[in-house]
Amino acid sequence: MLTTISLSLLVQALINGLLLGLVYTLISLGLSLTLGIMGVVNVAHSTLIMLGSYLALELLQRLGLDPIISAVVAVPVFFLIGVLLERLLISRVARTSQTTGLLVLFGVLVVIEGAAILRWTTDTQVLTVSYTNASLTLDGIAIAVPRLIAAVIALALVVLLDTFLRSTLYGKAIRAMAQNRDAARISGIDTDRLSLLVFGLATATAGIGGVVLAMIFPFDPQDHYRWLAWAFLVVVIGGLGSIRNTLLAGLLIGLIETVSSILFPFQYVYFIVYLLLVVALLVRGQGLAGSQSRAL
Amino acid sequence: MMRHAADVPAGSGRPSPNGLVADTSAGLSMRGVTAGYYSHDLVLNNVSLLARPGKVTVLLGPNGSGKSTALRILYGLLRPRSGQVLLDGREITAVPPHRRLALGMALLPQGRSVFPELTVQENLEIGGWLLMRDRRRLSAALEAIYARYPLLKEWRQKQAGSLSGGQQRLVEIGRMMMASPRVILIDEPSVGLAPVIVDQVYEEIARLKEEQRTILLVDQNVRAAVALADYVYTLEYGRNNLEGERGAFEDRLEALIKSWLRF
Amino acid sequence: MSSALLERVATGARWRSWLYRGLGAAAAVGLLALLGVLIPLDWVTTLSSVFMYIMLAEGWNILGGYAGYLNFGMVTFFGVGAYTAGVLCTQYNVHPLLTIPLAGSVATVVALLVGVPALRLRGVYFAILTLIISFLTQVLVTNLGITGGASGIYMPALPFDAFTNEQIFYYAFLFLMVLTVLLAFLIEHARFGYALVAIREDEDPAEILGVRTTWLKTQALLLGACIAGIAGAIYAFHTSYIEPQGTFSLDISIDVVLMSLVGGLGTWQGPVIGVPLMLVTAQVLRILAGELPFLGTALPPEFDRVVFGVILILVALLAPSGVMGLVRRVRGRRLTV
Ligand SMILES: Nc1ncnc2c1ncn2[C@@H]1O[C@H](COP(=O)(O)OP(=O)(O)O)[C@@H](O)[C@H]1O
Ligand SMILES: [Mg+2]
Repeated sequence: MLTTISLSLLVQALINGLLLGLVYTLISLGLSLTLGIMGVVNVAHSTLIMLGSYLALELLQRLGLDPIISAVVAVPVFFLIGVLLERLLISRVARTSQTTGLLVLFGVLVVIEGAAILRWTTDTQVLTVSYTNASLTLDGIAIAVPRLIAAVIALALVVLLDTFLRSTLYGKAIRAMAQNRDAARISGIDTDRLSLLVFGLATATAGIGGVVLAMIFPFDPQDHYRWLAWAFLVVVIGGLGSIRNTLLAGLLIGLIETVSSILFPFQYVYFIVYLLLVVALLVRGQGLAGSQSRAL
Repeated sequence: MMRHAADVPAGSGRPSPNGLVADTSAGLSMRGVTAGYYSHDLVLNNVSLLARPGKVTVLLGPNGSGKSTALRILYGLLRPRSGQVLLDGREITAVPPHRRLALGMALLPQGRSVFPELTVQENLEIGGWLLMRDRRRLSAALEAIYARYPLLKEWRQKQAGSLSGGQQRLVEIGRMMMASPRVILIDEPSVGLAPVIVDQVYEEIARLKEEQRTILLVDQNVRAAVALADYVYTLEYGRNNLEGERGAFEDRLEALIKSWLRF
Repeated sequence: MSSALLERVATGARWRSWLYRGLGAAAAVGLLALLGVLIPLDWVTTLSSVFMYIMLAEGWNILGGYAGYLNFGMVTFFGVGAYTAGVLCTQYNVHPLLTIPLAGSVATVVALLVGVPALRLRGVYFAILTLIISFLTQVLVTNLGITGGASGIYMPALPFDAFTNEQIFYYAFLFLMVLTVLLAFLIEHARFGYALVAIREDEDPAEILGVRTTWLKTQALLLGACIAGIAGAIYAFHTSYIEPQGTFSLDISIDVVLMSLVGGLGTWQGPVIGVPLMLVTAQVLRILAGELPFLGTALPPEFDRVVFGVILILVALLAPSGVMGLVRRVRGRRLTV
């Protein structure tokens, strides 16, 4: 099988893999942030991604907005959604019982998915803009323009978020809160408000992730579990608390997906991903305990 | 003078269950605090304490008697079921911990509490979180801390988690001092540290005392703590037990420690 | 009264109360058995589905309720059971009755694939993995040749008239439901159940005290999966047609979680209360919503889903121990008075 693959096809797959990997990093950031900083596993994460895709669709159909602009619009919209979710639901339960928190977030998943089907039906949607089918060709290697744009947006966000967490005082406070919540509180940090910020940011990245995914993949209200699987895999491989590791893991998954999809039929990619997930969980094991074990 | 809580008839209505007329209009105090972590048991049972302004007050008691819990209550990390916390006569029972620094309070918690994956300097910056909006005052505070603890300046780019236990303790002290608090709560400052470091820690507490700060010190290292103390309280089973000036305690230390070892 | 006498009286009373409860349960089962021949056809069908959901919810409750490890993909095991029966029956001519235990076994094996990587970790990882695997299984079943892909499998019909047919499934589900409820009751009062509750309360000390938590959790998962697999197989014969969208529908997973939660997590009575309560609630809501002018009468099934999601959130927030929690509170009050 391998012999039939030309070198340029492989190079193209590698480039595609890296571009996709950036997008996968973006859609994993939110899951990684909430888990690493607040100890909350947001099982509804991928429904927020799906909502991002539909935001792009609505803005395109109603106002003719290009998805690139929708990605910007998604920031305040989804930040607000995240803040509301945190304030109304998560802040009430996450600290008392993990079971209750999971049940509530599962409920959120169910509501968002059901509402999306009511609003948009289960039909598969595609975003079509002027550059949807455009591609750049270099030495026989074709790069789809939407993928390139998606990857650039994703990269910009990854860099922005990393800089924010590393270099600003707020970012340092967020990291401090992740490392020792009570010590952060006695140092004068309002951890409840900071949690709002973190959840807002995490949700905003999910929303932008949805917009960006809509530029390159068809979508419907029910196939978001795929992105949940991908994001979870990236988080498990990349570990918690470091955006750079998340980026490395995202790129790795992107490469694995594109390379394996030239070797196997499409649906088997899921198996490879599941297999990877199982191996990663077995290998990393208890290293994924999260941050909430530390307290005064 | 030393008194025993049981000497005083219940319900005498005085601010301290020991019947000592404590003036709570200055310093940090708790009055009749009852608290616990679960609904079915009490950790503190009608406890009253006063940290007198500019003095070192020491809180002693066997393991599990509720000393750390008392500090958590005083700092707002735990809400009492009944009773009050007062700072200079003003009730602050419900003030959340992140607002206490602004009131001039600080807590040095038990065990390690540095942010291990931040650098020493970043740890200090978090201590100066209140000054966040004012870059200039923040860097002035930072310089003051570096002048006060020159070692911290040497380590400033190191990850706090990579330091030794004693070094981390210094980082914690530096972080706490960033806000230059007037009222300082300290929980078991010497546990798990090498003897040399322990001496330095008590020297630092002595310096804080010289600077006229109000200090409430919880300690298992009874001898060192009492040596610094102006006033001593003891807790037993979550209740006030003995209290009095240092002098009254110094001769009885031996017997006290022995009785706790029987627990 | 001497204390020995007191004790004898007390044990006598306890024994008698057990006897009454046993008699009550037997009477309830007898009544249900009688109903099978008395009530009209569509009632028989509805009750069959109540029994099936009670089976599923009891199976889910073993790990999810007692141990607190939430399985958001219970439908995986149900669907695998249904498809095992379908494939074996139509492609390999296995006798229908034989496919039922085989369906249970295959579902158990699939449960191992989820349990082994996820159950050594904390519940959140398990929960997310169950969601993912239920999606993956659906994709797989839709794309494989042997499962008939998206067009599904037509099951062989039983050689009876429609009414007898329904009655057979009624009694099959009733019988299995009684077995699973009994199983849940026994687990709740056995060391196995106590150990699972210890895991839910606080896993670390349980582990330190020598409870082999990973193995216990795996057992609980496998047991639930086996029950779901068997239920799925019977469901396949009952509906006579299975396809990936409906058989692996998220709705089934949601229903199972919600019904157990509403009844009371980690109690054998929970599902028995929660299932009928939620099915009735769904009906009532449909009727009420049909009255609303802007919604109209043709409500899509996703409407139920949204409502159930909202109920799930509200119950988890406001009454996390469900109906049984309320019952216990009332009883406790009566005892202390
Ligand atoms: N976070 C907590 N959750 C539950 N119980 C606690 C917690 N912290 C302390 N306790 C209990 O409260 C009692 C007093 O503890 P503590 O205040 O730490 O005592 P001390 O500092 O005097 O050793 C102990 O019985 C301890 O088990
Ligand atoms: Mg202590």
